[in-house]
Amino acid sequence: MKKKVLATLLTAAMTASMFAGCGGDKGSAPASADTSSVAEEEADSKTDDSGAAKDDAAADAGSAGGDVTIKLFSNLPDRKNGQGLVEQTIIDEYMAENANVTIEVEALDEEAYKTKFKAYAMNGMPDVVSIWGQPAFLDEVLDAGVLAELNEEDYVDYGFIAGSLEGFKKDGKLYGLPRNTDIMLFYYNQKMFDDNGWKVPATTDDLLSLCEDIQAAGITPVAMDGGDGWPMACFLTDILVKVSGISYADIVSNAIATGDFTAPEIKQATEILVKFADAGMFQVGYDSQDYGTTMNLFTNGQAAMYCMGSWDASMALNEDIAPEIRDNIRAFTMPTVSGGKGGANDIAAWNGGGYAVSASSEVREEAIKFLNYMYQPDKLSKYGWENGVGMSAQDQTPYLTGSETELQKQIMDILKNATSVSGTPINDCGPSAFKTAIESEIQGVSNGSTSVDDFLAAIGAACK
Amino acid sequence: MKKLYSNKPVIFSLVLPGILVFLFAVLAPICLSVYYGFTDYSGMGEARLIGFSNYIDLFHDSAFGKSLQNSLLLAVGFICIQHPLAIIVAAVLDKLQGKAEGIFRCIYFIPNVISVAVIAYLWKFIYNPDFGLLNNIAKAFRHPGKINWLSQQNAIWSVLLVLIWHGFGWGMLIYYTGIKNIDPVLYEAASIDGASWWTTFFRITLPLMKPVIQINVTMAVISALKQMETVYLLTNGGPNNSTQFAANYLYQQAFKAFKYGYGNAIGVVFIIICVLATVALNTIFRDKQEA
Repeated sequence: MKKKVLATLLTAAMTASMFAGCGGDKGSAPASADTSSVAEEEADSKTDDSGAAKDDAAADAGSAGGDVTIKLFSNLPDRKNGQGLVEQTIIDEYMAENANVTIEVEALDEEAYKTKFKAYAMNGMPDVVSIWGQPAFLDEVLDAGVLAELNEEDYVDYGFIAGSLEGFKKDGKLYGLPRNTDIMLFYYNQKMFDDNGWKVPATTDDLLSLCEDIQAAGITPVAMDGGDGWPMACFLTDILVKVSGISYADIVSNAIATGDFTAPEIKQATEILVKFADAGMFQVGYDSQDYGTTMNLFTNGQAAMYCMGSWDASMALNEDIAPEIRDNIRAFTMPTVSGGKGGANDIAAWNGGGYAVSASSEVREEAIKFLNYMYQPDKLSKYGWENGVGMSAQDQTPYLTGSETELQKQIMDILKNATSVSGTPINDCGPSAFKTAIESEIQGVSNGSTSVDDFLAAIGAACK
Repeated sequence: MKKLYSNKPVIFSLVLPGILVFLFAVLAPICLSVYYGFTDYSGMGEARLIGFSNYIDLFHDSAFGKSLQNSLLLAVGFICIQHPLAIIVAAVLDKLQGKAEGIFRCIYFIPNVISVAVIAYLWKFIYNPDFGLLNNIAKAFRHPGKINWLSQQNAIWSVLLVLIWHGFGWGMLIYYTGIKNIDPVLYEAASIDGASWWTTFFRITLPLMKPVIQINVTMAVISALKQMETVYLLTNGGPNNSTQFAANYLYQQAFKAFKYGYGNAIGVVFIIICVLATVALNTIFRDKQEA
């Protein structure tokens, strides 16, 4: 009898532990709170229709009954500098104005972010997410229907630069909003240039001879993040823009559609890239070094130039960088290629990163409201400008203070004087398999282990 | 108690959790992998069946070939460099006795205690051409210029060094335990007969360590095939796939290139290779034991 009782107890314990292990977390309290708040937010949003975008959050403050938690998934892990600081400032302001709203931030750097984004896409996305308005990222995401549609008419008064919303649309419907206008730049240390009598190059030949002079002085000419692949692909885009001029977009889209990258312009641009690398333009081991290491090379004064997008213009305000370097950071765009169709003012620029709202969000209305709050002209655009994080995708002219850094003024002039902008960089123009291929193969072609023809064939094969 | 263990409900309740874990955490994912391997699933949206296309592509994929070649190279590195060294160090440690034995055992095991992320970044800095330790040492010896330890040609050797160094302590500890289990009477008898340290090592230690060596080598080969974290953090398979390993390549294809179906096909081939390697190693060791 004793043994039978023991046996029954053991069986019961095992079964109980199994059920305990199989338990889900569907019934968590916040979820039910979120659901109830959706109805309330919907009611609120109806009353807000007539008001200006700016008043949305204020009108809502205090009126919503239940607590709402918005999960924000961001690609800006540094919350104390640059764009991450801007994002965090807006979040803090929104929470201060809406006592019932809590915004939880999960931030990862770009590569890790994109990977986890996909995992989330399979299994329920956070409410507000960072996205990129480029086919390599957005095509599959939109095909899967994980992003909520936005009403384009809501943004008429938000001052978006003409054409900047196009990358975030599919079949005429808007699914996200652009944050920045990104420009590919050579940052340089002006004091170092002046001390050594170096001049900003006007042509790629000048750039090559400048690099020779810099190398002779025992300094790395250009710090290049070749380990990640994408910055070098943006660099190739920059060269291709100078080679092909305004036909850049047509040449690239045709190559991706046919899988044939043998167009003379693409070949010439790749050959120039290889020539640059062969001439020792980049630091030793550039093809295995990451973003932070590369940037440090420039900000520590070990490299005279640094090739990256305009989002790094916040270096000029970053107090972690020594003032003698920070205050002397200036920028120029890719010099012209002799015989190339692109002029000095045909630049590699695009509206890349931005935000969207998850289609499956249980607090969708509140998430859209927060998104709209972020894009009020005096938020992302203004704070971005004040923090020197480069150009916004919205009109920033009302926020010029006159105390901008020299670097900001230079970047503004570059955009103002542009005769044409390239649009999406080459690696983001095709499917993600193409992006993976070009970002890996470009390391091989630049370090000489793959021939130019093999490189072009390999990236073409990835499009088929 | 004996009767309790022959009670069928008890046996059932004890075995069931294990079976359920195996079914849902191992078998079901493998079956799903096989299914997705036949699709063009991107990880989101709809999956379409495309037959053997993924497997055909895989056979023509030079990056996958390179990753298998690197796994093989690592397995050879483990077997030919890491393990002989680990056995010798374990034997020497055994002879050290006293405090020194404990201290050195700890020192050799330290790399295993440190997180993989820390190890990867530590070596990234050591290899850095501008401020890395190795280049500073080379500079002190008046080596002209900077050595690129992670260049396309050198990277795989640099990665192998890190992996061999990192796994060394674990292998050594298992061998050390094996040696400690050898009856000391055998060593005493050998010493009375006037056997040298090397003779004792080759005639007593090594033969009696065969079962330990078998387990260690099998684990080493499987860990070489499964290599992922260190490589992902150190080079992420670059430059241009020169340090690519199968598990890292699977991850890149499935989660970065949005080729989830293709990633699963890699997974299936990967499982087959792991099973074949284990069977082959077991056969080799069984033959030797029987002989």
